Amino acid sequence: MKSAALEGPGGNGKGRSKLGSLFIEIWKHRMVYTLLLPGLIWLVLFAYLPMGGLSLAFKEYKANLGIWGSPWVGLENFKYVFRDPAFLDSLWRTLYINIVKLVIQFPFPILLALMLNELRMRRAKKWFQTVLTFPHFLSWIIVSGVVINVLAYDGLLNSTLMMFGLPTINFLGSESMFVPMIIFTDIWKSTGWGAIIYLAAISGIDQDQYESAEIDGASRMQQMFRITLPNILPTVTIMFILSVGGLMSSGFDQIFNLANAATKNVSEVLDVYIYRITFQSATDFSFSTAVSLFRSLVNMALLLLADRVAKMMGGDGLFR
Amino acid sequence: MSKKGKRSGFRKGKMTALDYFIFAVLLVVGFMILIPFWNVIMISFSTQKEYAENPLMLFPRNPTLASYKALFADGSILVGYWNTFKLLIVGLPLSLFLTSSMAYGLSRAKFPGKKIIFFLVLFTMIFNGGIVPLYLVMKSMHLTGTLWSVIFAGSFSAFNMILMMNYFQSLPESLMESARLDGAGEWRIMLTVVLPLAAPIMATITLFYGVAYWNSWYDAMIFLRKADQLPLQNVLRAIIVESSTNASNAASVDSVGKQGFSTGMKMAAVFVTMVPIMCFFPMLQKHFAKGVLTGAIKT
Repeated sequence: MKSAALEGPGGNGKGRSKLGSLFIEIWKHRMVYTLLLPGLIWLVLFAYLPMGGLSLAFKEYKANLGIWGSPWVGLENFKYVFRDPAFLDSLWRTLYINIVKLVIQFPFPILLALMLNELRMRRAKKWFQTVLTFPHFLSWIIVSGVVINVLAYDGLLNSTLMMFGLPTINFLGSESMFVPMIIFTDIWKSTGWGAIIYLAAISGIDQDQYESAEIDGASRMQQMFRITLPNILPTVTIMFILSVGGLMSSGFDQIFNLANAATKNVSEVLDVYIYRITFQSATDFSFSTAVSLFRSLVNMALLLLADRVAKMMGGDGLFR
Repeated sequence: MSKKGKRSGFRKGKMTALDYFIFAVLLVVGFMILIPFWNVIMISFSTQKEYAENPLMLFPRNPTLASYKALFADGSILVGYWNTFKLLIVGLPLSLFLTSSMAYGLSRAKFPGKKIIFFLVLFTMIFNGGIVPLYLVMKSMHLTGTLWSVIFAGSFSAFNMILMMNYFQSLPESLMESARLDGAGEWRIMLTVVLPLAAPIMATITLFYGVAYWNSWYDAMIFLRKADQLPLQNVLRAIIVESSTNASNAASVDSVGKQGFSTGMKMAAVFVTMVPIMCFFPMLQKHFAKGVLTGAIKT
């Protein structure tokens, strides 16, 4: 009704009628807004309010004043953050582990997808898919239970080594084995799931391409490299962008559950550091908020940068 | 993409060396996944003595339920089961309500503010406030120390919402239009027209949220204080990670009084935590095959 009144004068002022038609549109879709309302309330309370709470990074937290009432201190917290050697250590460690992961781990799901795609035994293919994706759906707590059991000094693997008279290896409790162990167990857990995403992309490839290639006498290997791989390249790019966007985080669940006292010098990545300074040592909420704001910003910047680079190289980006 | 489906002429022809090679590689990889689980399960069914003599346990000679009896007698795993059950019973309907109403709303034709609202959802996927502000917000709403904090923290996922929205957009608009002409409101249309048509995506998203709640532990570790409130995963963590001699982080909340678990009991705990996922997993698997996820990769 309000909109009808606004519409009344009709064509008097362009701005007003535009505003009027906007109100009409909003009123017309009022039901749609009620659909969105519950989700929006959740977003405001549990996503955007905490995001606003990041302002704590520029404040000195006083428990009695809360996030919003605490006094501003500018960049004071960041000064301390960048002077904390433990922070810098954890920062480099995070980047180191994630970059090594990115280089070593990234091709595995693609390889697996190509192999599963080439496998002609359909029954076996389904079985392999089921078995290989299963660990993805387990928490890192369960998986670390399994991993500890297999890799412990008296575990499955070392017992096997002993049986063959080989020297045992301290997989879980040595600093030099920590990063390889983390990478290997992550490959073990997540390769199958990663392959599913590439398999979905492969299933969308135009079959005519294979048929004409076959007529031209292309071998299966040639088809794989000349047709399958180029066709899933957009998906590969997207997965790569997403991995780059996670360079500063990821892996908390895994590292937190697989680290122990013997590896504590090599296992404190950024997220573990944030957890430790927030909930285990003397609590300074402003300080840890500053660290986590820094982490989130760098992650977002890396994601957008990787996206931009992918587009510049002529590939598809994440955002259209 | 005109024609999809199995490669024609692909299954024709003899098995070549390549086929056998791929099969062999996959077989080895498959066993690398299966044997650790098999080992865990067999240890849980063997006696402490037999395991001590032979850690390479693949077939126990005298299978026993002793570890399970001891585990359930301890009782903490049952408390964990109960708390996770509460989480699912309250959290799943809430998640589905929030996700499907928003997904249906955003799948409607253009309306003012649609782009902004979609961006607000998308933005939560690339940027978030992190745990500290979330903890303080939860605390200011007096939710910490109750299961509600864990429920609310996990009750909406932008990824799941976008998946569902894509599915809704693919449904024929004419069906909703005719319901609209009959005078049905958008909520009625969603409940009576759209959701019955969307069974595959609803099943998928239910399983996704279900698995997420089942596996969640970080929020509970941060937000909850009393041991008898902790969900299953945290109880399992207390049993396997924190009671092992070289565990770190032993100072966290859920470490109290979790000593003296035998390896058999630990493995039994791993198994009972894993079983529901093993049961629901084939259902999950079916939906991937349908390529429900294809649309989600690119948003």
